[in-house]
Amino acid sequence: MEEDIVDYALEYAKSKGAEYAEARAQSQVQERLMLRSGILEAYVSAVDSGFCVRMIAEGGIGFASTNKWTREEAKEIVDLAFRYAKVANRKDKIRFAEEKSVETKWVVNQKEKIEDVSPEEKISKFVDIDKSLSSCGVKVAATMSSCTIDLTSNYYVNSESSRISSFVPKIGAFIFITVAEQGKTEQAYEQFGYSGGWEAFRQWNITEKMIHDAKVLKDVITKGKTVKPGIMDLICGSEVTGIAAHESCGHPMEADRILGREMSQAGRSFIFKGGPFWIGTRIGSDVVTIVDDPTIEHSYGYYAYDDEGVKARRRYLYKNGVINEFLHNRETAARLGTRSNASSRSINYDREAIVRMANTFVLHGEMTEEELIEDVKYGVYMKSFTEWNIDDKRFNQRYVGREAYMIENGELKHPIARPVIETTTQKFWTAVDAVSKKVEFDAATCGKGDPSQGVPVYTGGPCIRLKGVYVK
Amino acid sequence: MNDVLNKTGEIVKKAKALGADEVIAKTTFGMYRQVRFSNNQVDTTVAWNDYVTDVALAWKKRVVVTQIHNFYEVDARIKKLLELAKVSKENPMFGGFAKGSFRYAKSKADERLRDLENPTDYVFEAINAAEKEVGSQIDSGGILFTKFEDVYLVSSEGPVGVDSRSAIELSIRVFSEREASGHSVECSSTLKDFKPAKAGMKAGEIARLAKNPKAGDEGVYDVVFDPLIFGSLLGVWASMTSAFNVMVQLSVFVNKLDQKVAPEIVVLKDNPSAYSLANRLFDDEGVPTRENVIIDHGVLKTYLHNTSTAKIFKTETTGNAGLVVPTPWNIEMNPGDMDKNEIFKELKMGLYLTNTWYTRFQNYTKGDFSTIPRDGIFLMEKGEIRQSWKDIRISDNALSLLTNIAGISKERQHVHWWGEADPPSLSPYVLIKNVHITKSK
Repeated sequence: MEEDIVDYALEYAKSKGAEYAEARAQSQVQERLMLRSGILEAYVSAVDSGFCVRMIAEGGIGFASTNKWTREEAKEIVDLAFRYAKVANRKDKIRFAEEKSVETKWVVNQKEKIEDVSPEEKISKFVDIDKSLSSCGVKVAATMSSCTIDLTSNYYVNSESSRISSFVPKIGAFIFITVAEQGKTEQAYEQFGYSGGWEAFRQWNITEKMIHDAKVLKDVITKGKTVKPGIMDLICGSEVTGIAAHESCGHPMEADRILGREMSQAGRSFIFKGGPFWIGTRIGSDVVTIVDDPTIEHSYGYYAYDDEGVKARRRYLYKNGVINEFLHNRETAARLGTRSNASSRSINYDREAIVRMANTFVLHGEMTEEELIEDVKYGVYMKSFTEWNIDDKRFNQRYVGREAYMIENGELKHPIARPVIETTTQKFWTAVDAVSKKVEFDAATCGKGDPSQGVPVYTGGPCIRLKGVYVK
Repeated sequence: MNDVLNKTGEIVKKAKALGADEVIAKTTFGMYRQVRFSNNQVDTTVAWNDYVTDVALAWKKRVVVTQIHNFYEVDARIKKLLELAKVSKENPMFGGFAKGSFRYAKSKADERLRDLENPTDYVFEAINAAEKEVGSQIDSGGILFTKFEDVYLVSSEGPVGVDSRSAIELSIRVFSEREASGHSVECSSTLKDFKPAKAGMKAGEIARLAKNPKAGDEGVYDVVFDPLIFGSLLGVWASMTSAFNVMVQLSVFVNKLDQKVAPEIVVLKDNPSAYSLANRLFDDEGVPTRENVIIDHGVLKTYLHNTSTAKIFKTETTGNAGLVVPTPWNIEMNPGDMDKNEIFKELKMGLYLTNTWYTRFQNYTKGDFSTIPRDGIFLMEKGEIRQSWKDIRISDNALSLLTNIAGISKERQHVHWWGEADPPSLSPYVLIKNVHITKSK
């Protein structure tokens, strides 16, 4: 990364007379392994490196990027961004909420440096997972797995004298399996993610988890019964709690969505000014507190400063069941008369930073998982999910259980095949009457933006119990 | 131009000289422009200049891939890539890259799409057309995207090709009320055929008709799918015909070759021809792209292949090679024999759906999935709108929907939208019987 060219781009941008300018460079050492049923289809090794400028001029925003590291190219993209900012010709002029300038450098440490791990070892990790699956006593008809490694160096400067350098290694894995038994199939996938080094593999226990999933799918095929649709209690495992927190709390609380900026793609929000829901409105029971926190060390969504140079902190989204704080970047914060809470993220130098989640999860309660189950007379325990989705105002959602069991008189019974909860955000979080002690996280890739920017996040939470919901 | 082709060829020569068995290098000089707008105003205008050479090489059936971003770092990158190949693991199913010399058609890319002077003009053309439909209370958002790529491909196995690929697309979503919206797109490979006002007018019309929606009712309905939402379904079926997805069981078409998967009236093709956003003369192995009939009068005739998957399935490549796995380019459904109006008249009582998003599967081999219709959702009676609806979900099966196609319009629209109607398609109005609709409880 040639920082002098980035500095030059900023200085040239400032000389154009823009109201605001920033330059952001990123160099990413990438490795990708792609396997099909234990066969390495391809090993990708590349370095992607480039920089962008973003400018506000006459109340409009222009953004341009390049991966050609020359001063001439820097000048060209500044000219483009400046020209594009001015053609916006907006009635409502864009401005950014105030921020202190920052000069700092931050890094994520690796206990076992990824750079020191040989390609052979990386390959063998995944080949071994497949071997273990093929001898686990379940007929695994096909697997697909991938590993992504990104060693990312960033350099950020803006016209308000901020200058931030960072280095973040991230490692991710994805495994998809198909189990075939008795002429039927069931499928599952698991995603793993970590900010840090190769030590991630020891923590993930991928092989054990995938063998567990294979056995669960076999049980669903051979022993699973369907649930009789009706009103009952539902216990959601941390995986289900986490996806619900992400989809029906994190997304609707993104201020750009609330203000309509994503309206034609990811949509808007059930929260809007003048509507039935706003800050201070109850959306769930008082045992529900959902936070988004980029500062969890080594989490997949970790960062110390966002991509506008704002220091990261925990955000309380729903607090004791009440809508509390939106996710903001500097643009949305200015429009709603507040300060950014460091939610501006970009996946690469060639993408504009937009409002994103980091690690979204339900805070813990006081009960054990066993205590949650003990109090259920008739219900379902949905430990994990398969199909899920939510509408674009983030109000009507559906989760279909992957590993699920019937609960009768406080005891877990037989497996349930694909139980479904299809309900609204308000009904879901209002029905929660108890929350367990132990919080667990899952890695995920959150999609938003056009072109799409899949950002690494954690979803998570404890087990939660919903009283009297419709399950089918 | 020749200079870039020569430099791309140099990469292949260097890799061969270092010991690679087979090498492909593809250099793309891309200029991409985008205008994003919401609340009837431009939020940001974006320019990306991207210069990249994708390199795939094989050494003793070990396949490794890299990207080179400037021609000065070639020696080091290729050397490193070959070292990686030597410690990598053999893929016994690797069938080599495509062999032979091919003649390609001439590119019809539109040079004017290299860098539009005033891209925001097209946005306001669409907004103004929408406003004529919904009035001054209009709230609209969307994107205008343009692409111009110069592509240079050299393969050690023979293919050498130069292509230029242009595209322009506009996506506009229009709200007439908080919960009443319409969405439409306009997609073209040339500026001459690009009519943004058409998209604005259609999105505005749907938004106007969608006013005062009520929560829909669960049930089983006959449904007319607008070309935009049907484009989403075409995208789902198309991705399931990639031979790689078949092998990893991300497909409802596993073991269904030469079987009836749809009624007689269904003919489905992959064809990245000149009009398409995905236009291209050759695939990533240098094989000329072509029209492939995937479903012929209801019978599944082929999966989409690169050279390796074709060998596994004992057939020939279909010209769908991506750098590693085969991919669909542009899906076309043959037109039917009904006018659009006849399709609607056929709907005695049912739904007209215009758009959807968030399609997710429980099980790809079984095909069970759900997706969430958005924008105009209409309860129809004898071809007329009886009521505007909201808050419903299609909870059905990908194979059942294909099997239950009962009518296809003569009219087709070239559609593409975000990741939801992707890859691009040439999509008609389609009547599907017995579609399962669910809702929140």
